[in-house]
Amino acid sequence: MTELLAPAGDLERLKIALLYGADAVYLGGRDYSLRANAKNFSIEELNEACTFAHSLGKRIYVTVNIVFHDKNLENLEEYLQKLKEIKVDAVIVSDIIGVKMAQEVGLDIILSTQASTLNYEAVNFWKNLGVKRIVLGREANREDIIRIKEETNVEIECFIHGAMCTSISGKCVLSNYCTNRDSNRGGCAQICRWVFTKDGSPDFTFMSKDLNMVDYLEEMIKIGVNSFKVEGRMRSIYYIATVIMCYRKMIDGIVNKSLPKEDREYYSKILDRVANRDTTPQFFHEFPGVNESYFSDRTEVSNQDFLGIVLDYDKENKYLILEQRNYFKIGDIVEFIGPNMDTLTYTISTIVNEDGEKIDVARHPKMIVKLPLDIELEKYAMMRIKVFDKKSVL
Amino acid sequence: MKNNKILITINNLEDINKLKELGITKFAFPLKGFCVGIPNTFLVPEIPCDGYLYINRILDNDGVDKLRKILNNLPENIKGIIFDDLGILELIKDLKIEKILYLTHFNTNSKSVNIYLDFVDSVILSTDITKEEIENIISNTKKEITLFTFGYTGVMYSRRLLLDNYSKFYNIEKENPIVIDNSDHKFIVYENEFGTYFYHEKVFDGLELMRLDAKYYFVNSVFLNINQIIGVLNGNLDGIDSDKGFLYTETIYKLKGGTDD
Repeated sequence: MTELLAPAGDLERLKIALLYGADAVYLGGRDYSLRANAKNFSIEELNEACTFAHSLGKRIYVTVNIVFHDKNLENLEEYLQKLKEIKVDAVIVSDIIGVKMAQEVGLDIILSTQASTLNYEAVNFWKNLGVKRIVLGREANREDIIRIKEETNVEIECFIHGAMCTSISGKCVLSNYCTNRDSNRGGCAQICRWVFTKDGSPDFTFMSKDLNMVDYLEEMIKIGVNSFKVEGRMRSIYYIATVIMCYRKMIDGIVNKSLPKEDREYYSKILDRVANRDTTPQFFHEFPGVNESYFSDRTEVSNQDFLGIVLDYDKENKYLILEQRNYFKIGDIVEFIGPNMDTLTYTISTIVNEDGEKIDVARHPKMIVKLPLDIELEKYAMMRIKVFDKKSVL
Repeated sequence: MKNNKILITINNLEDINKLKELGITKFAFPLKGFCVGIPNTFLVPEIPCDGYLYINRILDNDGVDKLRKILNNLPENIKGIIFDDLGILELIKDLKIEKILYLTHFNTNSKSVNIYLDFVDSVILSTDITKEEIENIISNTKKEITLFTFGYTGVMYSRRLLLDNYSKFYNIEKENPIVIDNSDHKFIVYENEFGTYFYHEKVFDGLELMRLDAKYYFVNSVFLNINQIIGVLNGNLDGIDSDKGFLYTETIYKLKGGTDD
């Protein structure tokens, strides 16, 4: 089975990721996680996350992937014990002491991409220590992955979508020097996205474009990659829902031999639309060159497609109750996406505000409105601008 | 100076005799085909005296295969190996040479160091920790550790050919290395076929660490000439823009005002 693994920075994102098709979610606790800027989860929230995921037959992996200094180790064992008690399915670690302690507590271990693992002997080293799964470095190409699978028989997890580090993960401390924030303890300030000057020459930038593996998904499934990981614990709920749903549909289509080319192209366009940077497959198919990074100013596009999230459905009056996220108005042609449903096209004919008044425009962020709809949609369904017609993408 | 405990990387073979005159006997030779960020590297047969192989690349499978062949035929003058990639541990299990692990930015706590010391003879500590943390690790580890004592410190290692791509993008002549600048921060950037390596432009001066107990005091001589090195080892840092790195400046672990409060 190929696992689709989603990021989640908080409980709402977690629920959306799982409901939109992820098999598992990785997330950080309030301590020991590499995304200090994400909201992250308290122990109580982790418990709720596990209960929710397990009720759906899905899994939770908790990142404990900082590079520890001595004083960070003080409460680590107790923390891991708590994770064991609340039945997290595995921890993601990069530092060998994390591996050792997690093993002693009886937790399954996934080795983080921060450990810079790119060859079969390094995989064997960690395998011999009891690591169950390895997240390969994002620099691993097709041949690397095939050989590692052949030589090691260890579960392999690969990133398939999202932001890339310019550096080999775990090998960058630019933040330490530029901001005094420890990049290997959650403080990465993304210095690789800064602009540097060079005497007498154009500005020097070295930021990578994002990763997108749509074109090689089928090949990765055939190779036997066990888990397909999406980057982005700090991304929006709309981004997570869209990316996870697209990959879910594509993976299922490939596995069931029912993914027509036009469908793949449709999902690819949707993914491009939700991305705020250019995307490429990066290292998998060929060595990245000038087109895989930005070497001059770039424009990051803010996506305004997400119009609202469904809070509830009024069965009696057949109204959808929606929380607004971006401006929409009467006459707009939109789409609903959501768990357990096909994409639904809809023309907005009526908008009713919380006072029961008909209005022409929903312009206020997070305002609650009602839209008439005969079909019941589940909580967490989302309304977006309709841009592409699936059948028209031929 | 405890010069007999200095372990120094070699830029030029001609420097060796001058270093020996200072009482230095431990030389690390960057191995051709297995290093990043280092302009001068050497094949094993070119190593003219007792020495250590220095390997700082993260290896792909092909690199592992090639290195295995080299390690299977090591001459007697190769006394040890300093390396980053943990896959190398599997290659050197049965070799009777000194094994020193340098994980660059890892090895920042005593427990991890102790685990790795089950596999190797010594570990070079990260330069991302304070002197107090170093002292604590020295007090709590079961074998002598090695201290990065002087030289340019690596701050970023990309597999990408960033200088090559930069010159292609702007259609300008490729320079290598270059120095880049952003407000108060400068970095030396050097590229070879295995990737691009960034060094902090200020040389790390940890000479005071030589007062601490250690197996070796590691000196990274890359981009320093022999006269500068001799000067440094005689206590003269004139003309070298240096700082103390993080010896007295602890990096921030948790951001104030964030959701971790």
